[in-house]
Amino acid sequence: MTTGYAPPSMYRSREGMGVWEHRGKVAAVGVGHSPTERRWDENPETSVGAWSIMALRNAMADAGVTPNQVDGLVIVPVTTTGAFWPEDKALPQDVIEAFVQTDDPLDGIAKLSVDWLLKNMPELTGINYSLYAPVCMSNALNVAAQVVGDGLAHTVLVLKAWHNLQGRYYQGGQNAQDAIGGTSAMRSLWGAPACYGTALQFAEYCHKYGKNHDMMTPFIINSRRNGLMFPEGYWAQHRPEELTDEDYQLARWIAKPANLFDNDIPIMCAASYLFTTAERAKDMKQKPVYILNHVDSNAVPRGLTPTLDEVEAECALTGRKIYEGAGITAADLSFENMYDGFTQFHQFHIEGLGYRGIGFGDALDFYQTDISIEGPNPVSPSGGNIGSGRSRFWMHTDSIQQLQGRAGGRQITGVDAEIGVSGGPMPLGGNYTVWSATPD
Amino acid sequence: MKQGVIADQFTAPFWSAANESKLVIQNCSKCDRLQHPPAQECGQCKGGDNLEWKEMSGKGRIYNYGVVHDCPIRLLQDDQPFNVAVIMLDDDPGIQMYSHLPGTPVDEVPVGAEVEVVFEETTNGQKVPEWKVVI
Amino acid sequence: MSTLISFDIDGTLEIGDPPGAVTLEMVKAARAKGILTGSCSDRPMSAQRAIWEEHGIEYDFVCYKHLLADLKKQFDAENYYHVGDRDDLDRKYAIRAGFGFFWPDEAAENPLLL
Repeated sequence: MTTGYAPPSMYRSREGMGVWEHRGKVAAVGVGHSPTERRWDENPETSVGAWSIMALRNAMADAGVTPNQVDGLVIVPVTTTGAFWPEDKALPQDVIEAFVQTDDPLDGIAKLSVDWLLKNMPELTGINYSLYAPVCMSNALNVAAQVVGDGLAHTVLVLKAWHNLQGRYYQGGQNAQDAIGGTSAMRSLWGAPACYGTALQFAEYCHKYGKNHDMMTPFIINSRRNGLMFPEGYWAQHRPEELTDEDYQLARWIAKPANLFDNDIPIMCAASYLFTTAERAKDMKQKPVYILNHVDSNAVPRGLTPTLDEVEAECALTGRKIYEGAGITAADLSFENMYDGFTQFHQFHIEGLGYRGIGFGDALDFYQTDISIEGPNPVSPSGGNIGSGRSRFWMHTDSIQQLQGRAGGRQITGVDAEIGVSGGPMPLGGNYTVWSATPD
Repeated sequence: MKQGVIADQFTAPFWSAANESKLVIQNCSKCDRLQHPPAQECGQCKGGDNLEWKEMSGKGRIYNYGVVHDCPIRLLQDDQPFNVAVIMLDDDPGIQMYSHLPGTPVDEVPVGAEVEVVFEETTNGQKVPEWKVVI
Repeated sequence: MSTLISFDIDGTLEIGDPPGAVTLEMVKAARAKGILTGSCSDRPMSAQRAIWEEHGIEYDFVCYKHLLADLKKQFDAENYYHVGDRDDLDRKYAIRAGFGFFWPDEAAENPLLL
C-alpha cells in the first residue's frame, strides 16, 4: 500500500463552500496518548516509534475497537520542527534493531512512516487506506474527518508524534554553519528566532490598540493552571509548577516583546484519535463527539513576515469559514481551544472567532476578566502547549474530553460543553475542527 | 557577524548585485509586481516565464522591529541582544527586508523612520543589504 | 571576605534536568563557610524557591540569570560568582554583571564548595 499526502481537494479552504456535506456524520470515539519526556533517552521503548504505537493502541482501547476493525490510517510523518539527527552522529543500532525496519534507518526514531507502523503493529490487519497529512495534528484531523465522511475508510486512526533529542532545539544544522545557501539566507541571515514574527505582530497590536505585554499575564497563568490538570501533559508529569505574575513578567526576552514563557517547550510525546462514522460510533465505548466542520487556512503574506493587518484579515476569514461550514455562529461556542504555541497569537485566533463577542483589539482586556474553566468564558481550557508542552494536540484531546464530560479537573463548569473549536497553528496557516456533543 | 552566503543558481542575481552594492528584487514583468523572497513563480499570475530582477532605489522605512536576545544562529550569539527590524521599501511597501539597523542602538529603533540601503560583508566576503537610519 | 555564589539549576546542579556536577552537599558546604548562595536559572522564580525549600536548603536569593546584575545591588559582597552550563546565557550574563564564572565541573572542584 502506497501512502501519499492528502490532496488539496480534501481541505475546506474557501469561504462560500456552504455547510460541510458530512456535518455531524463523523465522530471521534477514542483518545490515546503516550507519556511525555523532555528529551529522548535513546532507548527503544521510549522512541518516537514506540510511543506512536502506544498512542495508537491506547486510542483503540479507549474506543473499545479491536485492531482488525480499523481500516484507515492518517499520520503526520514529520516528528519535529527543530531537533534533527546530527549527520555526524552514529545511528542507534540497538533501537533500529529493536523494531522491524523500513529502508530509512531513522524511521521510528526521527520521523515516522505508515510502512514502519504497519510493520511494527501486525495487529492492524484491516488497513486498506492511508494518507499523510503535513505539519501537525490539526491538519491530520481535517484529513481523517474527510476520509471517513467520503467513505474512503470507516474507522480511522489519526496520529501525530514528536521526538526531541539531546542538546538544544534549533541549534544544529544550518544554524551552526559558517555559511548557508543563498535561498535560505534571504530570511535567516538576521537570526530571528521562531517567535520573532509573532512578537512583531504583537508589538504592532499593542501599539495600535494601546495594550502592553503585562496584560498577557492572566492568559499564561490560566494556561499553566489548566495544563497542570492535564495528566497526559509534560508539566503535570514532570514539573508541576504553577506560574506567578512575577515569574512571567520578569522572565528573559527571547525576541522582545516575546519572553521565555511566551514560547512553548519542546517535548517528546504522541497522541492518536479514532474517528468513525456517526452510525458506528453509537456502538462504541465512549460518548461520540461529532465533527460539524473542518477548515483549512493557507494565506501567504505579501512580504517576509505577516503584518498585523494580514493576520487580522485571515483570522476573521477563518472565523467566517468555521461558522459557515458548521452552520453555527460565535454565540454557539461553549469554549475555544485555539492554538497557543506562541502565546501572542492566541488572541488573534479568538478575536477572529469573535469569541464571546470580542473584536480585534479586545482580547487582552478580555484576558483580565474571568477566563477560567469555572467561569462563563473559558479560554483555552486545555491549557494548550503553554500548559503541557509542544504537541499541538492537547487542544484537540481536551475538546473531545470536554464534550464527553471526561476532562477531569479541567472540565468546564461555568457553561455546558456543547460545541467547541480547536486548531492552529499559525494565524495565516492552520487547520481547525468544530466539535459537538450532538450531531445536529 | 552574519553567516556567509553561498549563492545558489536561483538567487545568484540577488547576491551578485549585492556584491556590486546594488539592491535588486525579483519582479514579474507581466504583472509588474515585485516579490521578496524570490520564488519560482509569480505570486499573482503563477507564471514563471516573466520573472526578472529589478534594481531598487535603496530607500525605505522601518515598519516594525524586535530585539533578539536568544538567537539560534551560532555566529550571531555573541552579538546579542540585537535589533531585527522589518524594512518596507519605498519602491513597494509590500516588499519587506530584515535589517540589524547598523548604527542604531538596541531597542531604540525609530519606527517609521526613513532608511537607506548599505552593504555589509559576511564571514565569506559576500555582501548583504543592510539598512541605516537616514539622519 | 564575603562571597556570593549563584547557581544555575538545569545542567548545573545534581537535581537539574539534565543533572549537573554540583551537588547539594557542595551548596551546603559553601553555606557553612558563610557564603551567600541562591539560584539564577530560567526556571520560574517561584519554582526555584520551591526547589530549595523541598531539599531543605536555605537560600539568600533566587533570580533569573539575565538579572544577575541586580544581585550586586542587593548584596554587598566582595566576590561574586555564577555557576552555569551555558556559554550564551550563564557565562555571558555573568561576565556582563561583573561576576566570576565557573562551569559546573570547575565549580565542583573549587575549594569554595568543598
